[in-house]
Amino acid sequence: MIGSANLRRSYQIRKALLVVALVAPALVLFTAFVVVPVIQAAYYSFFDWNGLGPLVDFQGFHNFARAFGHDVFRTAIWNNVKIVALSLLLQLPTAFLFSLLIGRKKFFGSLLFRSFYFLPYVLAEIVVGIVWRFIYNPQRGLPTFFVQLFTGTQDQIGVLGDVNLAFWAIFAVIYWKYIGLHMIIYIAGLQGVPQELEDAAAIDGASKARIVFSVIIPSMWSAIVMSVFLCVIGSFNVFDVVWAMGQGGPVHSTETLVTYLYNFGFRRFAFGYGSAVAIVIFLICVVFNYFYQRFVVSSDIT
Amino acid sequence: MAKGAGNALRFVVGLIVAAIMMFPIYTALMGGFKAQGQIFSNPFGLPVPFSLEAYTNILVETTNFWQLFLNSVMVVALVLAIVICFSMSAAFAIARIKFRGNKLLFNFFIMGLLFPLTVAILPLYLQLRGLGLTGTRLGVVLAEAAFGFPLSIFIFVGFFRDIPRDLQDACEIDGGTLFTFFVKVIVPLSLPAISTVAILNFIASWNQFLLPLLVLDSDTKYTIPLGVMQFQGQYTTGWNFIMAFITLSMLPIGIFYYSAQRYVVKGLTAGAIKG
Repeated sequence: MIGSANLRRSYQIRKALLVVALVAPALVLFTAFVVVPVIQAAYYSFFDWNGLGPLVDFQGFHNFARAFGHDVFRTAIWNNVKIVALSLLLQLPTAFLFSLLIGRKKFFGSLLFRSFYFLPYVLAEIVVGIVWRFIYNPQRGLPTFFVQLFTGTQDQIGVLGDVNLAFWAIFAVIYWKYIGLHMIIYIAGLQGVPQELEDAAAIDGASKARIVFSVIIPSMWSAIVMSVFLCVIGSFNVFDVVWAMGQGGPVHSTETLVTYLYNFGFRRFAFGYGSAVAIVIFLICVVFNYFYQRFVVSSDIT
Repeated sequence: MAKGAGNALRFVVGLIVAAIMMFPIYTALMGGFKAQGQIFSNPFGLPVPFSLEAYTNILVETTNFWQLFLNSVMVVALVLAIVICFSMSAAFAIARIKFRGNKLLFNFFIMGLLFPLTVAILPLYLQLRGLGLTGTRLGVVLAEAAFGFPLSIFIFVGFFRDIPRDLQDACEIDGGTLFTFFVKVIVPLSLPAISTVAILNFIASWNQFLLPLLVLDSDTKYTIPLGVMQFQGQYTTGWNFIMAFITLSMLPIGIFYYSAQRYVVKGLTAGAIKG
């Protein structure tokens, strides 16, 4: 009896050691380079600090107040909000429509087309930004071509240099790059729509639109949920493509939260201030996630 | 009859959309084959005449393209090795071994899905600096791997949980330890999940820009995205060179994507399909 208790204990110890050995590497790296920095960001945000030497200049919430008082910061947040709103209103519905059109029945070329739609998503954002800078070239680019075509003049248009147009030019690129992702998610979701329900609704005389809203969308709800989530979180964290197309210019008109963080935090060695901006991004994501999980994800429509 | 018409319409619409989606890529592809003057006289058309001047310049003569390529390959290879090994081992423990704190540990890792790199980037930079890892590719590797764990562990745990208990019991009856179970049963069965994790981390790491931008300071260590940015800054008017450079930087990921498409889509839509 005593022997078996010892045996069990040594088994427990061996099991514990095994678990530690299996989990430790990932846990250590993840904690050290993901969790700790986020906590540190929260801590640094309360200080005025240039990254060297000790943290002595306690600022309380002053960094946050400064940020919200800075017009460039407000422009940046507003740009992010615009990107989210435009994506939700334009990009996702278009992706959904295309997925309905192209994703259900296999036709000649459908699989090849799908691979083309997804390709922009796979490319590096920085590369995408540079190619589009070429396309937007004032002298010979596509916008100039269309302007000259429609007005018959030799007018040139530099969309990326125009304070009013630059944002839209950049949003067009974001739209182009990520629409494929949402299309693919919806196409996958469409596979789960029960054909019988659709047929039954059609037999009952429901219009195409009715079928979409009452049968198809509820059946692919988890796909839609995931797509919206990725869209919102991604929109608040966009950096590379905006950076490649003007670094937040012209005159800060295309700044986003992350370009602002880079320009006014990292570049100016204002690590406390930059951390405050990072925490703002983080809080936006966390709050969104909380409400999203509570009101959207848990509602089981079907 | 109607079906044929419907499919024809789908084809036409699909083609138009595909053309729009591929237009920028086509532009970059064609641009690399144009001579310097032509890139502006004929920005979007086919290269006439066809010129290999830009490519020979980049690949053979001047720039550090091969060094950038090598750096990217090194970083990505290490990231994949670290992420796959350690997320598999952690997921194996979480999914197949009963221990206290099992669920808590899983949720701890999953929480990482909510932490975008952008939020952690400044303290991460300082952390790496404190460890003497700034300016090193190893610093980039460790940071990228760390951010790859949440999704990778999530995928593996989901996969491992579905492996029937009977297999594990059968292995134990045959006298195998958990280790042999892992090596002889789990690993071969997990090839699809490993492919998915590999591809997702490959794409994320190969295209990563912000992290190396902050961490690396010597352009001999730059990865391809940084090199693209730098190249574009230097050659402000040689757009044919820039296009060639960009096409070359798109090639590895393009090839990888086309050969492994199924797994990319599967990995990303893992949560999208009910049941």
